[in-house]
Amino acid sequence: MLRRLLFAVILIAGCRPSDRPTVTRSDRIVSLLPSFTEILFAIGAGDRVVGRTTWCDYPPAALDVASVGDGIPPNIEAVAARKPDLVVLYNSGPNVTAAQQLERIGIRTVLLDLNRLEDLGPATRKLGQLTGLEQRAESLAAAMDSLTDRPLPPPTATLAYVVWDNPPIIIGAGSYLSQLAALAGARNVFDDITAPSAQVSLETIAARNPHWIAVLSDAEVPPGFAKRREWRAVPAVRAGQFLILPGSLFGRPGPRSAEAVRQLKALLAR
Amino acid sequence: MKWALLLVVAGLALVASVLIGPAGLQSAIVWNLRAPRALLAFLVGGSLGAAGASLQALVRNPLADPFLLGLSGGAGLGAVLAIALHLPGPWALPIAAFIGALAALVLVYRLGRIGGGVLDPRILLLGGVAVGAFAAAITTAIVSLADAAELRNAFLWLWGGLSSASWDAVLLIAAYTPIPLLVLLGASRPLDLLALGEEPARYLGADVERVKRRVYLAASLLTAAAVAVSGVIGFVGLIVPHLARGTWGHRHRALLPASFIGGGALLAIADTLARTVVAPRELPVGVVTALIGVPVFALLLRRWTVA
Repeated sequence: MLRRLLFAVILIAGCRPSDRPTVTRSDRIVSLLPSFTEILFAIGAGDRVVGRTTWCDYPPAALDVASVGDGIPPNIEAVAARKPDLVVLYNSGPNVTAAQQLERIGIRTVLLDLNRLEDLGPATRKLGQLTGLEQRAESLAAAMDSLTDRPLPPPTATLAYVVWDNPPIIIGAGSYLSQLAALAGARNVFDDITAPSAQVSLETIAARNPHWIAVLSDAEVPPGFAKRREWRAVPAVRAGQFLILPGSLFGRPGPRSAEAVRQLKALLAR
Repeated sequence: MKWALLLVVAGLALVASVLIGPAGLQSAIVWNLRAPRALLAFLVGGSLGAAGASLQALVRNPLADPFLLGLSGGAGLGAVLAIALHLPGPWALPIAAFIGALAALVLVYRLGRIGGGVLDPRILLLGGVAVGAFAAAITTAIVSLADAAELRNAFLWLWGGLSSASWDAVLLIAAYTPIPLLVLLGASRPLDLLALGEEPARYLGADVERVKRRVYLAASLLTAAAVAVSGVIGFVGLIVPHLARGTWGHRHRALLPASFIGGGALLAIADTLARTVVAPRELPVGVVTALIGVPVFALLLRRWTVA
């Protein structure tokens, strides 16, 4: 009996999305990527965000929203407990599975790409459409598009983003971080690697001899590997030429990417 | 003749791994990065080869490899803890991994002597697998509960690699490894006898209990140091002893040095390939040792069983 009842509930829940008009204004949104949280707040939908990840720390008002965990992979029950009518996910393998499970219990989901700066405009427009805030989304999206539309300044310096030291992992051309560097007038010495990140040998970093070593870190001191003997074979490490970039601003593409470019430019001009 | 050939191969492997690299021949890079890395690869590969050969004799099981006795699990746990707790200092990770490996060693050793004072190889094997699995479970729990991005990289470290090679590490390992290696070499005659079984070995005058204790501790200490500086590099300690046995036979006085030199040469070659074949990117060296080692091994296995 109980099982039959449960089955009926699932059936009804399963039917619901198709009965409704395809675009409805969402009022209870769970955002599962810090960038989406920032965009939602920036277009004026912040008061409708009812769930976020532990990483969503901007704007400060986002911290008042209930957290549903780290989001990798999403905790379906924690998300469902927020009773959302829309869940926004980053388009990746595990998230596709999570989205299917959420749809199965009648929660609308949207999977959005956000790997490069070009993805910001379309993602913002889509979120504007889903929240009925098209106009504000359009003006933000236009500002984001202008970031990638304008011609790149001639590079005046070179850098390597070091994500991890043992084994050495660097950022390649596939990441928006490489784009941020180019916009700030610095060439990523690993822009021949098309992947977003890759393991390389230390001697390659030393041979490509970047002016700067960029690290994403909230500590304001050089990274631990700066003291390791083998890393001192890299001239920029020996000279202490580190760009220490705060993770909240540089760790994700979003409405503040233009600000990230400005700050990087200022650091390079030191 | 076969010794000369082995030494030539090992020498060529070392020279090639110093000369060949994605960065060309810049003296600073060759001296500060490539030379210590080639030597460290040789010492680590050699340690794994010798440890594998003696453990296979100790537990009388051809599947034994230096990491079967739980050391990799312990070292991995130590390394992940060092990263999760943000332990400071450039040597925090290798020291934590070494301590983790030693903790696993002690635990497995205690388990191995559970039936009184006698070290039982079968219980040693089971204890090693159990301790390794337990440590791996705790490691995975930490990784899934803590800051995900950083710890994903800890798993990469676990897959093994020599990118942290420096002259400091080479000197440390070069000063450390001769002691356990000499202990193993000193036990080569009783290890030969142990192949006949413990009872016959005892009748032939071997102090079986003492030999088992010594060999277990020496091989484990070799492996613990190797894993601390280079992570878990698989297949060298499993395959090289079998290859060496095919040529040098079962006498450990010859088998142990041959496994050491052969393991060193294999890892030096594998690391050179790891650095160069997909340059500017790099492959985890454990992937390369498996890709070279397993086909060669399969080929020889076929030849031995057919013959």
